[in-house]
Amino acid sequence: MERDLQKAYLESLESQTSTSEDKNAKIWVVASGKGGVGKTFVSSSLAITLSKFGHSVIVVDLDLSGANVHTSLGLKPSHMNIRHYFEGVKTLQELVIPTPFPQLSYVQGFWDSWTPTDFSYAQIQGLIPQLKSLRANYVIVDLGAGALEPHLELFKAADEKFLVTTPEPTSVEKTYRFIEAYVCHALKADATPDAYSNMISTLRNHRQRTLQKPFSFRSFLKDQNGLNYDFFEALSSKPVRLVMNSSRSQTNADLGHSIKSVCNKYYDLGIDYVGPVNYDNAVWQSIRNHEHVLVAQPFTPIAGQFWSTCKQLIDPEELRAVV
Amino acid sequence: MQPTSRYNYYEILEVAAGAPQHEVTTAYERARATYSGENIAIYTIFSDQEARELLVLIEEAYQVLGNKILRNIYDQRLLSGRSSLNDLTYASVLEASKQVFPEPKPEKTKDPVYKKDAAFEAEISARNDWTGADLKKVREYKQLTPQRLSEITKINSYYVTAIENMDAANLPVVVFVRGYVVQIAKALGLDDKKVADSYMKNFKGLGK
Repeated sequence: MERDLQKAYLESLESQTSTSEDKNAKIWVVASGKGGVGKTFVSSSLAITLSKFGHSVIVVDLDLSGANVHTSLGLKPSHMNIRHYFEGVKTLQELVIPTPFPQLSYVQGFWDSWTPTDFSYAQIQGLIPQLKSLRANYVIVDLGAGALEPHLELFKAADEKFLVTTPEPTSVEKTYRFIEAYVCHALKADATPDAYSNMISTLRNHRQRTLQKPFSFRSFLKDQNGLNYDFFEALSSKPVRLVMNSSRSQTNADLGHSIKSVCNKYYDLGIDYVGPVNYDNAVWQSIRNHEHVLVAQPFTPIAGQFWSTCKQLIDPEELRAVV
Repeated sequence: MQPTSRYNYYEILEVAAGAPQHEVTTAYERARATYSGENIAIYTIFSDQEARELLVLIEEAYQVLGNKILRNIYDQRLLSGRSSLNDLTYASVLEASKQVFPEPKPEKTKDPVYKKDAAFEAEISARNDWTGADLKKVREYKQLTPQRLSEITKINSYYVTAIENMDAANLPVVVFVRGYVVQIAKALGLDDKKVADSYMKNFKGLGK
């Protein structure tokens, strides 16, 4: 069975390479400030939805603490996992494993390692071009929780950045911390050390409310020398996309708009609110049955929410109402 | 605080300058929900005091943008660049709207002059026990109709009549009744505390 799949996958690759050889894959990264908010669920659902649209998708599991993409897709873990890439034995493309779903394949995360693993900043920088050169239309990266530097670097390089949160105060708080860390990390790359430390101390004063009001982070950056203001603008124009997972009510769903507004008022940073993903008991029930909920129940509101999210990002024209 | 010193009203409500009216309203409702009450979203970012200040700005912004005429004036001034944001305050927009649409001068209706009756006045000031009928007597003595009293006190004339009849079935809950009586007593030039205390005692006595 597995061998057939592998063969079919290689054949499909052959046909693809002839049509779209020089096209880089689009990288979508899914991250979160807090663990357990549903990153893996969101990334696997995005992947399944995109593959249903007919695009080829590869999910890369980079969650070190809890590699779970295979379970989420209802598959058994494979020995061919990303450890081989970090040990330099295989290229990333060689680790791609096909799934029973058409157009969808994945790269298994760490699971058979008995020594603690971690990836460094340098390793991530080497990984980014590899991800881009994977032979697929979309590469979806499932990150671990928290604002670690390698995570932020990958997040920065992504074509679409998803930040998953739930309506709990714990998760919302960590989401803000993640956004702050991401903004600082993104600005640090092109900043002179002096300007950067000045910016950090200004942000600290902003938090401790010792600055003269009204304070605007945007105009502060504009006035500073040695900071890349254009990059901050780019942060707003290629925004972080917030996903409100396990939303149980309209209030929960509206919380996303509130978070967006707070980011705007406090940091002058534009983020995008993709929308809520409803809480649905079918999610954990189908995981128990080793089946993804979008496969087991393809016509639920959740499926519709992912459908419109993906459509909005890759083909907004089609969503436009005919007037 | 100089509320409008930096952001324009569109930035405060986070809508585009050409946004249609329903989007402005939606944005306002979202903003109000975000910064009032205990919204999780402002936790660890804004203090209660800061949220209240933001709410003041949001309300002010919607006072202008939610009103077609004021929004028009504001747009003209903002987009033409004739006024700086510091001049473009709520008060100035409101002032401009009054020039475009002068407020009709409220008609001065002279209250009818009533004939002074020294004996009745003395009786009023000496009276300690007040009922609805007494209020009615004073009102008629001052030559006021229930409608006119309603205009002065901003209480529905229906309630004015009900208070005079001490008709509990047609009146709201007790605290409101007391408020009404205070208003009426003030309008009639009576000692409102004395009247209200006594009236309420009689009013509650009726129910038993």
